[in-house]
Amino acid sequence: MRKSILNFFIAFIAVSTGLQAQTISGSVTDSEDGQPLAGVNIVVQGQNQGAVSDFDGNFTIANFESGSTLVFSYVGYKTLNLKISSTDVISDNISVSMDKDLSELDEVIVIGYGSQKLSDISGAVSTVNADAIEASSPVRVEDALQGQASGINIISSGSPGSKPTVLIRGITSYAGNDPLVVIDGISATIDDLNSLNPSDVKSVNVLKDAALASIYGVKGGSGVIVITTKSGERNSETKFTLSTSVGTQEVVRTIDVLNASEYAAILNEASVNAGEGIVFPNISDFGVGTNWQDEVLVDAPIVNHSITASGGSENTSYYVSAGYTGQDGVIAGGEKSFFNRTNFTTNINTDLSEKTKLLINTNYSNIKGKSLAENGITSVLSNALNFDPTVSPFENGTFGISETITQEIVNPLAQIDNTYNENKVDKIQGKIELQHELMENLNITSRFGYTYVNIYDKGFVPFQFYGTGHNQTNANPDLSPIVTVDSEGNITSTHNRVFEGNTNFFNYTYELYGNYDFTIDEIHNFQTVAGFSIGEGKGGNISATNEDVPFNSWDYADVSAATGNATQQTSSSWQYVNRNLSYFGRILYDYDEKYYASFTGRVDGSTSFGKNNKFGFFPSASIGWVVSKEDFFDEVPVLDYLKFRASYGTLGNDNINPQFSLISTFPSYVFNGTITPGSSLGSIPNDDVSWENQVQMNVGIDTRIFNDKVSLSVDYFKKTVDDLLFSPNLSLYLGVPSYPTTNIGSTESTGIDATISLNTSVGDLSISSDLNFTTAQNEVISINNGDKYIWGAGYGIPYRNIVRFEEGFSPGYFFGYVTDGIFQTQDEVNNHATQNGAVPGDIRFVDINSDGIVNDSDRTQIGDPFPDFTIGWNLNLDYKAFDLSVFTYASVGNDIYRAYERNLNYTNRFASTLARWTGPGTSFDEPRVTFVDSNNNSRASDRYVEDGSYLRIKNIQLGYSFPDSLTEVWGFDEVRAYVQVKNALTLTEYSGYDPEISVGGVLNTGIDYGTYPQPRIWSMGVNIKF
Amino acid sequence: MKNFKTILLLILVTSVLNRCTDHVDYEAIEGYQITSEIYFQQEADYDAALVGTYDVLQWLFFNIQLGAIASEISLCGGESATDYIGIQQIDDMTHYPENNVLRQIWQFLYEGVNRANYMEQNKANIDFEGKEAMYGEVYFLRAYYYFELVKFFGDVPLFTEARLTAGEAGTLTRTPKEEVYAQIELDLQNAIASLPNSQSQVGRVNKYTAYALLGKVLLYQDKFAEAASALDNVIGVYSLVSDYGSQFLRFGENGPESVFEIQYSNQSNWYDWGCAHCSEGNYAIIMNGPRGWSGPEYAQGWSFNVPTAEFYNSFEEGDTRRDATVLDIEAFAAATGASYTEGYDHTGYFNNKYIPRAGESGGQTELNYLTNFRIIRYSDVLLMAAEAYNRGGIDDGLAQEFLNQVRRRAFGGDDNDISASGTALTDAIWEERKFELSLEGHRFFDLVRTGRASSLITGFVEGKHEVFPIPQQEVDISGLTQNAGY
Repeated sequence: MRKSILNFFIAFIAVSTGLQAQTISGSVTDSEDGQPLAGVNIVVQGQNQGAVSDFDGNFTIANFESGSTLVFSYVGYKTLNLKISSTDVISDNISVSMDKDLSELDEVIVIGYGSQKLSDISGAVSTVNADAIEASSPVRVEDALQGQASGINIISSGSPGSKPTVLIRGITSYAGNDPLVVIDGISATIDDLNSLNPSDVKSVNVLKDAALASIYGVKGGSGVIVITTKSGERNSETKFTLSTSVGTQEVVRTIDVLNASEYAAILNEASVNAGEGIVFPNISDFGVGTNWQDEVLVDAPIVNHSITASGGSENTSYYVSAGYTGQDGVIAGGEKSFFNRTNFTTNINTDLSEKTKLLINTNYSNIKGKSLAENGITSVLSNALNFDPTVSPFENGTFGISETITQEIVNPLAQIDNTYNENKVDKIQGKIELQHELMENLNITSRFGYTYVNIYDKGFVPFQFYGTGHNQTNANPDLSPIVTVDSEGNITSTHNRVFEGNTNFFNYTYELYGNYDFTIDEIHNFQTVAGFSIGEGKGGNISATNEDVPFNSWDYADVSAATGNATQQTSSSWQYVNRNLSYFGRILYDYDEKYYASFTGRVDGSTSFGKNNKFGFFPSASIGWVVSKEDFFDEVPVLDYLKFRASYGTLGNDNINPQFSLISTFPSYVFNGTITPGSSLGSIPNDDVSWENQVQMNVGIDTRIFNDKVSLSVDYFKKTVDDLLFSPNLSLYLGVPSYPTTNIGSTESTGIDATISLNTSVGDLSISSDLNFTTAQNEVISINNGDKYIWGAGYGIPYRNIVRFEEGFSPGYFFGYVTDGIFQTQDEVNNHATQNGAVPGDIRFVDINSDGIVNDSDRTQIGDPFPDFTIGWNLNLDYKAFDLSVFTYASVGNDIYRAYERNLNYTNRFASTLARWTGPGTSFDEPRVTFVDSNNNSRASDRYVEDGSYLRIKNIQLGYSFPDSLTEVWGFDEVRAYVQVKNALTLTEYSGYDPEISVGGVLNTGIDYGTYPQPRIWSMGVNIKF
Repeated sequence: MKNFKTILLLILVTSVLNRCTDHVDYEAIEGYQITSEIYFQQEADYDAALVGTYDVLQWLFFNIQLGAIASEISLCGGESATDYIGIQQIDDMTHYPENNVLRQIWQFLYEGVNRANYMEQNKANIDFEGKEAMYGEVYFLRAYYYFELVKFFGDVPLFTEARLTAGEAGTLTRTPKEEVYAQIELDLQNAIASLPNSQSQVGRVNKYTAYALLGKVLLYQDKFAEAASALDNVIGVYSLVSDYGSQFLRFGENGPESVFEIQYSNQSNWYDWGCAHCSEGNYAIIMNGPRGWSGPEYAQGWSFNVPTAEFYNSFEEGDTRRDATVLDIEAFAAATGASYTEGYDHTGYFNNKYIPRAGESGGQTELNYLTNFRIIRYSDVLLMAAEAYNRGGIDDGLAQEFLNQVRRRAFGGDDNDISASGTALTDAIWEERKFELSLEGHRFFDLVRTGRASSLITGFVEGKHEVFPIPQQEVDISGLTQNAGY
């Protein structure tokens, strides 16, 4: 980036003022090369008059009143407002120069070990700039990518600060699909984005195909997210920006469950159906009872503050920022659930000599958080949905308890009260980089990047009482320990417990590379780079627990304060190290910016690989052709620009650990009543294990039409992996050691991503809009592990497997029984395949394999959690001082599996139960209620699968920029205030809280364990520049 | 100047790259991990590996549970009809190859076999005093694991040389059970030859444990004469405790009647539900407790493995074993004011031999019960010997004597002695096993081996249910044949 400051000058001197209408004339030129600009739109602000510059850039406007503002607009250039306060010299020509708008076509994209003009790229890339990130004001920067860039699928959770699932172009691997993240040249992971302040980000570029990603070799297989943070400008005064916003979050939807009297009636019926007596003789006593969801869901605040200072002298530029983000949980509020992040960033760039630059980037962040149980049968939401509605939240000053529910499910308010934990993260991340111009166009970069993280965790399990005999109870009603005396007179007691853990990570990468750019015969342009990279990652943890925390109090919850004796204390530790060494190179070539070609290659070595396969080579190539630069193209109407791109190459995935034949010293046995340590073989090695080899193909087209007002990019891709890494399911007669990760399988993903953008203006209204379309079809082609599948996630008690990674299917699909209505009569039961325990009113399951018996062999595909396609639509409108941006996202074809029902006899049920079967013809989809579910109606089946398609207005922001007349008085350069609604509206047929469900892994997506819903956020904020 | 810088840079690059060649090598020591290459170099490694071979015994809680639940004297119970569906199906004789519990039993038993084989493969590495006796324990354990495999699954893959490697997955076929039995007998004979008469540590097997197991293995093959002579070695070595019920309590563990017990402890303070069997405690115990229990003596559990009323009522008048074996929960609650909630299949009775008792666990209460499994008791030895002498036509008088020793302890005198002979005596011995050894994991297998299962167990199909199905996953991965009828 050379210049981005508004750079204009007016070649006249104002000496007096007047209000006469006169004719004004002038010329418009390009600020860079001084060439006249033809076709520039010039209007007098607020009036219905204007002109268009002619071929020489000249224009004339009659009846111009002094004091008015001229607005110059031209596609590809920044719009310029010019206030003419004097008319005395209007007879003289004014000359105006306009800056190119680099955010568009000629934007320079950071592509890893170099940068390239967007228009020169023949691979597939998506970019998201700071404005788009600012408009969505996310807690994590990747949330801002959702729908903003084609080819990326982001599935977020509402839990404060939690990591979303990020997929670039589908799912190819079982071993991990997180893309590589590169922040200012430093390799990082999606997990590291928890500590990045989104307002520090200048741009995010997503490298989607092999041509671009293969410079990152074995780590690039799942795509690369290249993040560039902001820096200061040379030769500029210090500029400050102050941004602040405050908001409130609310959960919009709740799930219909039975109220107290409905609950009592249904339980009576269930009991009677099981041949037992009535449970609640007097149903009418109960009324509506307690709605536990209302008890736990609260409106919670979210705040964001940041201040930045940037500027520079002739030799040095700097960018300094401080930020704070605080998000409280909508479940239970900020006392027990929050995410607070404080950031300090310093980016300094200074000239050590005429030819040597030093860049130092440092980002320190501190994260504090507390969390409540999520995503599972013991989560707060699961308790709120399943707990007995006839119980009062509080009874006689203590939490209400259930006499009938004795397993897992508890009063969620008591659970919240008994949950104590904290998590503190200190992270310092940065780089020290030297750039040296060895000779003209030959630059050497020497970069040391590092990340240090320290994580401290603490948890406290106090004495808690959920009812006598409840399996979560560990204390008497007065919270004293439960003391028992056995037949020999031995006394034992329950204990409270505290846990502390400390985890450290330190990663560094050193890279040395040279960039050499040259041109031959003025039309053969080359950009080349070659270098090497060496790195190491280390991690370690030490943790301890003890019992008997004084006063049963969080205040005293610390291992040092707990009074448990030596046998009550436990400690543990782990550590790892991995190292890699890589060589890389790239040649970018173009012929007169018309024909393009690139060649990229990287050799990667890793400690993760087996002894016999230490180094892998990942090459790629691409070509491009700008058809519109051909002479014959001048005749083509409407089309302003047309480019074809194609790329082919290989990438990898090294999500494996070093392998050895390890002796486990974990086994032990009891001799003489004492635990005696032993050993066994813990793991079997595979010396041949290597990276996943991924072959990617991409073809794309870029075009612009209607005077560049509309642009369109479409890419088709195909990725195949033929050395898929995972642990095979070996014969069970090998016993239980962990089996070696092996390259045994293949997957294929194909898809299309497309972006269409519109930039135009109608009078004072400027419109920019873009639509992103992303689709990917994934298939597991083969798994040579014996039984051709691997189980993914499951749910519930008893545990039910539900997700599979299986040959011939989409990765992570749902697997279970297919239902076929309800048995209405005994005849129907008799006529169906043998289904043990079924009686009229029970669900009829399909005998898929037609063997006359319904059993586990009849399970099949019942859903796919990944969408057929997603669409993101951005609309930005500017009208005078107002700006409006609306972002809408749609996900179509994703299935959701409902997995939040505990199914105990006395746990609550869903409102749909009211439409249950009570006799022939009464229901064809909702089974009878019974305390003895001999048919196992609750088995994993398509009964729990719902269409999770949705359309969501993710963000609406309306801003107003105060006029200069006011800001000058206030002493500011710019003041903009805005109001914002996030997740404003969701259209979906899904019955749960939120159709967007992620627990953070491909094999655990789309299962609603009572997901932490994404709240609607109302906020207002102000951005000030001075 | 420029050239100087270039040269300097080249030197730097070259030196770094040269250093780098081994940068991506990795050895296990960097993670403080022990590899097999440096193991079995000292006696302590063998000691530890033997402990590891015993360890798998503790994982076999479902084997014991199923011996009762699969039979007619006990129901599955639990929270609901779908709680531990694999066991519910076995209770109802509707089980089929997809069954997580059977899969676990299969895999755990083979882990035991592999651990024993791993010692076998490293046997020759070093010599030390007492090595042969140590391997007596190894062979006993391997025999025990294979015996359980044959009992549950019939013909099973047999391998004895070494721990299997990943490359051997899918290469084995099922060996006829006669050959497996032959190997079990061989292992036990070898164990008998090298094991000492007694061990210094409680919990280790000795020569008599091996004789007792050998007698049982022979009886399962109807080799009565051989069984009788094997069991003869054990007669008189142990004795019956006078109070039948006392041996199932904490202080009765490893008593004079105990021939072989699987040892558990409540000291590991285990908390990880993700690996219940990794605890040193007995996971079966929590399963058998009353639900939502509030009262003395016992502790709350999950109401599995509940004895039937028919079984409770079938005890003879005056049989002291009834109340030691079965807890009448209604009577107990009425007498003590205790309360509980009813689970699925509620019969009003609980398994009083293996039940959570207050204060006998630690850490995560469910995972740490200290209760040992009594695998072979002396009364079992007596009844096996009686059966061998009777059915082998060797000596009905001696058979009566062994049988009546057991009955006199149960009834507190000789008024209930049996004087029958021939098949009537056989029936009496079998009936005695039902009462003497009930809920200890023998019943189902006794019914199968004596051909009475189909007449007593509802849903039992002859020619099918004598063995459990080979886990479907093993059929899929390893291409093993399935048992008939599944």
